[in-house]
Amino acid sequence: MRKTSFALALLTAAVLTACGGTSPAGGDQTPKTKFSNQITFGDSLSDVGTYAVGGVAALGGGQYTINGNNTSVSPELTGKNYTTLIAAQLGLKAPCAAQTGLIGTASAGFSVPITDHLECFNYAQGGARVTNPVGPGNPKLDKPGAISIGQMTVPVTTQIDNHLAKVGGKFKADELVIVMAGGNDALEQLGEYSAAATKKGSDALVASLVAQLAPGTPGGSAVILGAIQTEAAKPTATSQSIISAAITAAVMNGNPTAGANAQTIGSTAGAAALKAGADFQADPANAKALVDAMALAGQQLGGLVKTKILANGAGYVVVNNLPDVSISPSAKAQSADTQKLIAAMVDAFNSQLKAAVGGEAKVLYVDLATVSHDQATNPGPYGLTNTTDTACDLTPAKNPLGSSLVCNAKNLKSGDVSHYMFADSVHPTPFEYALIARYVLEQMTVKGWL
Amino acid sequence: MNVSKNVVKLLVAAGALAVATGAAAQSKGQFTVSVGANMLKPDVTSGDISAPALPHSQGDVSKDTQPVMVINYGLTDNISIESALGTPYKHKIYGAGAIAGTGQLGTVQALPAIALVQYRFFSPDSMIRPFVGLGVTYAMFQKERGSFAMTALTNPGAGVPTTFSIDNKWTYSGQVGLQVNVTPKWFLNASYIKTKLSTDVHFSTGQYQHMKLDPDSYILSVGYKF
Repeated sequence: MRKTSFALALLTAAVLTACGGTSPAGGDQTPKTKFSNQITFGDSLSDVGTYAVGGVAALGGGQYTINGNNTSVSPELTGKNYTTLIAAQLGLKAPCAAQTGLIGTASAGFSVPITDHLECFNYAQGGARVTNPVGPGNPKLDKPGAISIGQMTVPVTTQIDNHLAKVGGKFKADELVIVMAGGNDALEQLGEYSAAATKKGSDALVASLVAQLAPGTPGGSAVILGAIQTEAAKPTATSQSIISAAITAAVMNGNPTAGANAQTIGSTAGAAALKAGADFQADPANAKALVDAMALAGQQLGGLVKTKILANGAGYVVVNNLPDVSISPSAKAQSADTQKLIAAMVDAFNSQLKAAVGGEAKVLYVDLATVSHDQATNPGPYGLTNTTDTACDLTPAKNPLGSSLVCNAKNLKSGDVSHYMFADSVHPTPFEYALIARYVLEQMTVKGWL
Repeated sequence: MNVSKNVVKLLVAAGALAVATGAAAQSKGQFTVSVGANMLKPDVTSGDISAPALPHSQGDVSKDTQPVMVINYGLTDNISIESALGTPYKHKIYGAGAIAGTGQLGTVQALPAIALVQYRFFSPDSMIRPFVGLGVTYAMFQKERGSFAMTALTNPGAGVPTTFSIDNKWTYSGQVGLQVNVTPKWFLNASYIKTKLSTDVHFSTGQYQHMKLDPDSYILSVGYKF
């Protein structure tokens, strides 16, 4: 009996030592790796306010999402992008834009001196491409006379150079480097592709008008071409107005049949234009050129990660691949063929990027393309309520830039848009940014970094 | 490791007492107490963590072994009732499914309280007495602890650690076991208990997760008849 009491006493002691606070608690909230800094290179998806100055700031914007802390409206509307959330989770100070400014139209408030911020390490800029210095929003792409937003669009390769110049040429081994780009290369390529198709169409329109009208018009093709050029130079020119101008010139110069046959002439020319544009898009060589250009951009980004980031001492590099742009409202507004083309471009970019960095021990390649595609087809588990519409009201009256860059609580669409995937035609809402942050952190955990 | 060492010491201490020979074998009106170890091993079928989450985010729960004291009372020569006392089982919770590889996301302590009615075969003085049992279990969970990773996966950057709680549940258990009467007073006891246990995990983010834990319990103990 005495010995049994000894055993009982042992058990009692064990029960007692197990006591303590029994209610739920957060537990140890320190990450496995203590990062000293977060350095980000990329485009609008990672930009934390490069253009949050002058007219953009006055419009209540600065980041490419639903701007501002609107958590009083909905807890999801934090106004934070994924780089901000990751930094906070890692216990680092909130990232700030390494450069601010605008180089656009002064009268609209879009000309603000470029300022470099030495204490800031998020170099991502809206419109930035991988190596090409001219991306969407850059003044070099503006039509003459149009109001220019004036984005600097410093490309990723220069962003990295700027950082290295600032810190003496080396990354620290305990810094977290985040890289995400490629979207603007896709948009720019598509823009050029569409412009080329349009040019083929307008060339065919002109050729058809000249062929139909010049023979019966005193003065011949010079008269017709002159009228077309005069009309085309006007900012308001359309194919319809060009057709009218050509026919009018023919009639005025004494073409006897042009007036009576105006309708046939116009529709023949219009059909020729459409056919030329369609022929351009149907030519696989033209689409292939785009896919090849994206493959090259992916390869270049992978190369930058290796030669400029890893080679200079970085120990932890997160490389987010290009999300599936083909599911964005921007792509959904286009033809099924164009959507397929965009998907092929994204694939080409990502496979080259992965081939370049996927095997690097110090690189975490995060497949956002697969996740974003899954989100569009299977939104429920992610908590997304809408993956096709924009949360921001982008009509000119509400949003003069037609971009989430100046979207905030005041120009949202009505109803609860807090769990929408997209703020504008390509950029995420804060909720989607939080999903991205969670996925990147999940992948960092699996990698053993956290 | 310390726990298993303690168990060994305990078993040795108890075994050293296995000298006295008494008269009665377990029978009507008799108390027995045995001490040993219980390995509690959840057989997890995880539900998916509710939105917002990566589809098929699941969990897994590790096993734990703790000292146990089994108390038994003979209602008749063949029917007995049994209960057990023990220290809390400390289980680790791991990411599984879509979040497999994320490692340990949390810990929880389980305190299962059990009451069984048993049927013991053969006569009280048989050396070997197999038995079967059926009973009720109250599964209590406490000290649920999250982690950096759990917060990172559910609510990053908000500065609010994610916590979770697991619902306590009444359920039922089935048992098969074997008692070996080494001497008239001392015996060895081995039993396996299967408990049906489904519960819900509630996260402070508003997410929840259904978990079928259905634990297997393996008890080895050395006992004395009073």
